Amino acid sequence: MNPGRFRALWRAWFRPRTKQHELDREIGFHFEMLVQENLEAGMSPEDARLAAEREFGGRDQYREACRDTWRPPTLDRMVADFRCAVQSLRRSPGFALLAVVTLALGIGANTAMFSLVNSVLFEPPPYPEPDQLDQVYRSTEQAPKGQVSVADYLDLRPQLASYGEMAAYAYHDVSLVDSERSPVLVSGLRVSATFFDVLRVTPQLGRGFSPEEELHGNDQRVILSERCWRDRFGAVEDIVGRIVRINGEPREVVGILPGSFNDWRHLGWVDVLMPLALDAEERTDRANPRLVLLGRHRTDLGHSEASAFLAAFGERMAAEHPEVNEGARWRVMPLRQVLIGESGALVLSMLVGLSAFVLLIACSNLANFLLARTMARAREFAVRAALGASRLQLLRPLAIESLLIALAGGAGAILAAHWFADWLAQRSTGDNGEQVALVLSWPVFTWAFTASVLTAVAFGLAPALFAFRLNLSGTLKSGGRGTVGGRGQQRFRHLLIVGQFAFALILLTGAGLFIRGLADLNNRRTGWSSEGLVTGGVLLPQGDYPDAAAIESFQRLAVERLAALPGAESASLSFHLPFLTWHETRRFVVDGQLLPERGREPAALVNGVSSDYFGTVGTQILAGRGFTDQDTATAPPVAIISASMARALFGSAPPLGRRIAQAGTAEVSWCEIVGVAADVKSIFPDPTPVTHQLYRPIAQEPRPWLEIAVRTEPAAVATIVAGIRQAMADIDPDLPVRKLTSADARIERENYQLAVLREMLTAFAVLGLGLASIGIYGVIARLMAQRTVEFGIRIALGAQIRDIVRLVLGSGIRLALTGAAAGFLGAFGVARLLAAAFPNMHLDPGLTLAAAALLLVAVALIACYLPARRASRISPTAALRAD
Amino acid sequence: MNPLRPELLQGTLDLLILKTLATGNLHGWDIAKRIAIVSKDRLTLKQGSLYPALHRLENRGLIDAEWGVSEAGRSAKFYRLTRAGRKELENERESWLSFSAAMTRVLGMEEQP
Repeated sequence: MNPGRFRALWRAWFRPRTKQHELDREIGFHFEMLVQENLEAGMSPEDARLAAEREFGGRDQYREACRDTWRPPTLDRMVADFRCAVQSLRRSPGFALLAVVTLALGIGANTAMFSLVNSVLFEPPPYPEPDQLDQVYRSTEQAPKGQVSVADYLDLRPQLASYGEMAAYAYHDVSLVDSERSPVLVSGLRVSATFFDVLRVTPQLGRGFSPEEELHGNDQRVILSERCWRDRFGAVEDIVGRIVRINGEPREVVGILPGSFNDWRHLGWVDVLMPLALDAEERTDRANPRLVLLGRHRTDLGHSEASAFLAAFGERMAAEHPEVNEGARWRVMPLRQVLIGESGALVLSMLVGLSAFVLLIACSNLANFLLARTMARAREFAVRAALGASRLQLLRPLAIESLLIALAGGAGAILAAHWFADWLAQRSTGDNGEQVALVLSWPVFTWAFTASVLTAVAFGLAPALFAFRLNLSGTLKSGGRGTVGGRGQQRFRHLLIVGQFAFALILLTGAGLFIRGLADLNNRRTGWSSEGLVTGGVLLPQGDYPDAAAIESFQRLAVERLAALPGAESASLSFHLPFLTWHETRRFVVDGQLLPERGREPAALVNGVSSDYFGTVGTQILAGRGFTDQDTATAPPVAIISASMARALFGSAPPLGRRIAQAGTAEVSWCEIVGVAADVKSIFPDPTPVTHQLYRPIAQEPRPWLEIAVRTEPAAVATIVAGIRQAMADIDPDLPVRKLTSADARIERENYQLAVLREMLTAFAVLGLGLASIGIYGVIARLMAQRTVEFGIRIALGAQIRDIVRLVLGSGIRLALTGAAAGFLGAFGVARLLAAAFPNMHLDPGLTLAAAALLLVAVALIACYLPARRASRISPTAALRAD
Repeated sequence: MNPLRPELLQGTLDLLILKTLATGNLHGWDIAKRIAIVSKDRLTLKQGSLYPALHRLENRGLIDAEWGVSEAGRSAKFYRLTRAGRKELENERESWLSFSAAMTRVLGMEEQP
């Protein structure tokens, strides 16, 4: 727009009155000049004026003519266009509804995914200046994201001046008892006093921990989460100073965390914080990494300097304590990245990509609808154009129509995103009340509306442009056949259908792979069996079970009572359940073998089990014996190793009778290998770097946290759950049992995030398939309508209805197959992406792809058959007469 | 000879106005007068077509208007060519000349005296 034109428009829009006035003055001037001329020609003033009036004629007429040239599209004209668009949409409510719903579904899926991305990637972590926060890992071959030992942490603490601040915490679930209610097992952390400074979290009531409270014996304090305070203490104001019993010991509540602390992306499930008061034994422990380090580096430090500082410290530790730290590297990862997760960005971008496919399918449907509609109105446009309407005038109501559809679609999309957030929150709610809370913030709304307007305008106006390429007089002359549309359009519509089926195949494959992969994970029962197995966790409060003897007597009693439950076949206690990842890794040395290089000793996951464990969970003893009641604390130490470990350590030589000990400890305590058990696989999708497994008798390593397992008849699961609860309450009324349910249900819950992903992918696939079948249905139905006359002639000439149906079906199936073929490449891409994101998931693209293609063709067949059936209703005489 | 009516031929009027304004800034009255003089009264512009044309050109940004004082000392609206107007004049002039040359050739063939 050149500046002169802009100025003129500006004046016309915003200063219409001035403009009017100027016009009057200008015309007045002209009139005066006319009078002047007449005067000069010798007329009397009277005559001069009269003659001028005569010549001038009606001023209003050309005043109006002038005004027409600069009148802007006034509000009332826009209102008229708007009403025209609304009316035209109301005249075909079916179309309007279909278009809006299509757009809302497409953009809704996309917006929901964007809200997920927005919450995970773009919303800042719930702490001030989050970019200074680092998570520190002590990385070894077995544990790339390993934790740090207490002794290493204590060595690091005095050297932090050049880095910044460092907080340490350890996971520490506890049983919480307040005066009235039954005990609960809550998630807790033991945190260093620096925790609050590093995260810059200020308790909303009370205070954080002081350094003095890190001293052992002076740590009887607790800080509660807002959620815990609300749910268990009714949010009473005078909570600070109250005494609660934690693990059987009294602790004083000194503070309440702010609500923002329970953010689902970081420590959302945590309800109690206790001071990290380390006792003498813990302070010297360098062998067991059990602390998570979270640092806030100084503002003048970048990520690389922070990394370099901790890497250098790690090297020093390796040099000073090679027996445990050889081969361990210290790494730093920005907290922001930790929250996104290892494969988080990959999975999220895949989800957004797949939802974009849904959107594209929806868009091509929209384009097809609008094209059909525009073509149906081609005569109307031709007539209007012939009457002198400009392109702009023709386009304007179409554009407004598209815009209306876009707005309705965008609103629908936001509704969809809202539902998605609700669904996800509900779906993700855990035992502790923690849930995924998506943020529906401005970026999400902007995304929804921008996407709607862009797609509706692009896909709404593209068909309109086709209409303008029509030969006007041809359209007018051709009568009813103005609606057939040219070859170019036909190709365009077919291309849309092919594209839809290509995308639908990709979506179906993604969903199919994931459904199968997750079913495989959830049904993975390698080395144990889940039928009729009930599990639950207990934690023995240290106050009530202060020593090994107390724990051991509890274990003995518990196993006895559980096994005696009516319906129970056998019962056991163990540190870990076979199907969950055993977090405990130890390295071992074998008696009589050359000592491997430090840090390179064979590693194994360790589980402590009671004597009936193997029989209860169904893990087979392949050689030697299981544990017995004679393997007590005072009996000779024994161990059972997994088959893969036996093979790796001893090859074909018999492992029984050989001795093995934990590496890196001050005193070597040898255990005799008395049995070989079958290998067990966890049901988690992440691969475990350590695959060897080693069992120890639970009596020889007393621990306060235990997993219950009871084997029963599958039908008796519900009754045994109640029985277990009762039995445990009989032993100790203050002992909460957590996650008490069937092993199958527990597995479902453990993998719920994958299930959520599966459900999202399935929803995409269903949406994509549904939209694509509507699309192909529409195209085939139009094809039928357009070629009715032709088919009538064919039938009149002796074609069978069957032939017509075959012809129509054939063209539909050809489109679907072309689309499916085009989608193969993308489907393989999705399979590769999923395989990269979930390496331990068993994904088999071949079969899934074939099934997806088959399903696609079947759906296309049905969608095409419905309109094709109408062939039987074609009456050749009627069809011929209609022309 | 009878006066011609330039508005009969679409675009002619605009071209005449642009050409007239190329010589300097003028108000509506002067534009009409000047066209009449230059065309030896063959082309006379009525205010009924002159002013809408002026406003149309102004709207298209080809000419610009400014209030000033006429020779007779009265305030009048003066028009002048904008840069876009000058370019438009150039183009239109070319095509008009070639068009009219072609017309002359074709018509001349039949009515050669």
